[in-house]
Amino acid sequence: MENTKENGLANYLAVRAPQIAAPTIISTLLLVVWQVGVEVLNIPEAILPTPLRILETIVLRWELLLLHSWPTLSECLFGFALAVAVGMGLGILLALSQLFRVGVYPLIVAFQVVPKVALAPLFIVWFGLGMTSRVLLAFVIAFFPMVVNTYAGIQSTDPIMVRMARASSATRWTIFRKIEFPTALPYIFSGLKIGITFAVIGIIVAEFVTAQEGLGYLIVFSEGNVDTPMLMAALIVLSLIGVILYAAIGGLEKLIIRWDVGQKM
Amino acid sequence: MTALHVRVSDFSKTYKTRRDEIEAIRAVDMDVRETEFVSILGPSGCGKSTLLMAVGGLLPMSGGRIEIAGQLVTGPRRDTGVVFQSPVLMPWRSILNNVLFPIECLGLSLGEYRRRAIELLEMTDLDKFRDDYPSELSGGMQQRVAICRALIHNPSLLLMDEPFSALDAMTRDAMNQELLRIWEEFKKTVLFVTHSIREAVYLSDRVFVMSPRPAVISRVVDIALPRPRDLSIEETPEFNAYVTELRQAIEG
Repeated sequence: MENTKENGLANYLAVRAPQIAAPTIISTLLLVVWQVGVEVLNIPEAILPTPLRILETIVLRWELLLLHSWPTLSECLFGFALAVAVGMGLGILLALSQLFRVGVYPLIVAFQVVPKVALAPLFIVWFGLGMTSRVLLAFVIAFFPMVVNTYAGIQSTDPIMVRMARASSATRWTIFRKIEFPTALPYIFSGLKIGITFAVIGIIVAEFVTAQEGLGYLIVFSEGNVDTPMLMAALIVLSLIGVILYAAIGGLEKLIIRWDVGQKM
Repeated sequence: MTALHVRVSDFSKTYKTRRDEIEAIRAVDMDVRETEFVSILGPSGCGKSTLLMAVGGLLPMSGGRIEIAGQLVTGPRRDTGVVFQSPVLMPWRSILNNVLFPIECLGLSLGEYRRRAIELLEMTDLDKFRDDYPSELSGGMQQRVAICRALIHNPSLLLMDEPFSALDAMTRDAMNQELLRIWEEFKKTVLFVTHSIREAVYLSDRVFVMSPRPAVISRVVDIALPRPRDLSIEETPEFNAYVTELRQAIEG
């Protein structure tokens, strides 16, 4: 490795530049077509606002957007955290206990068949229009991928690896902590990525239905007012939140999983 | 004559399948003395690995008894180290931490054994890779790490299950040489499973030949070649006489 640092950076840029430039150019082009198309065809703002008009709405009415972003973000994280804790716990129990697998797994699968969104009205009956209902809806949607991925991850442990640990007099607990759990980590991270996306969906649907606060509420409210620029501005902020949450998990994954996952030893 | 280390008496192993029972191993007797290098040689699928794993306390047996240092084997023992067919290194651990894994399992002091781990890695020429991940090493290097790991807690008995069978011929020769060097230095008892006749002759004091299923020990051959041995011994007529004798024993 005689490469200097600048050389490495130059190489990196040479590889990455097209990867960054191509999507940037294409999305810019699309935005230009959108802007010009709407103006030329004289499409009313209530049907499709121009990108510049949406940007203007975000800039001018950022306080309203921020006000509704907080409940969405915090409830989403709350529901997600609950899903991670319960989902991983169940996944671990499923993997480690035969009894649990036989007794509880069919119930979890049966529950998964229920379209979770349809539970929203029931939650309102039980828990009211407040935060509890919304967090719970995010939780029930996000928890299944956590269960399944944790379980599958632990199941993917190489039996020879377990035998090797047993040869070193490892206890069952040590085998779980030092072999099965690290083996499951890449799967768990896939579960986290799916789970966070699902949690956002759960919160938005719950906000549609409870109509109290949050970006979901802002979207239906703007629709009612035929304020399409605001509706789309809220959509964009919502997507941004989704991207940031997803990227945060991706970053954490890169930080924790530094080994070559594909390689079997 | 050194003391008896491993005694296998009347060992048998039967597998139950859905339809019937398969008798894999029938009535095997085997004595291994301290610091002896003994190979179990036989065709693939004859149950030699099964026997080795039972000695390691990793497989239940169907009949007979296995004693190590006079004690009945009931499970994995602290005075035994095992090297498997594949390196089975944990991809998320550095080389050094892979070698130290048994120390963690046994609840011994990591600080104390870190030195020993580094010495073992130095001896196998791997010390410069100690902070690397296993995926950065070649197959032969990974198996050397596995040998270091098996030796870290200073076991008196080393069980090796076709440890070099996945390696190319040249790497395999080098690994055999290195294994003998390690064995000469540490004077462990080694029980080595292989299906390579030349490997068995090159390494061993004695070779137990196992027949196909249901397996029995069909022959025990003393390898009276001088030690220390290097690869040039494979050219001698004595070496090849042993190879011929073992081949005939296997072919029955």
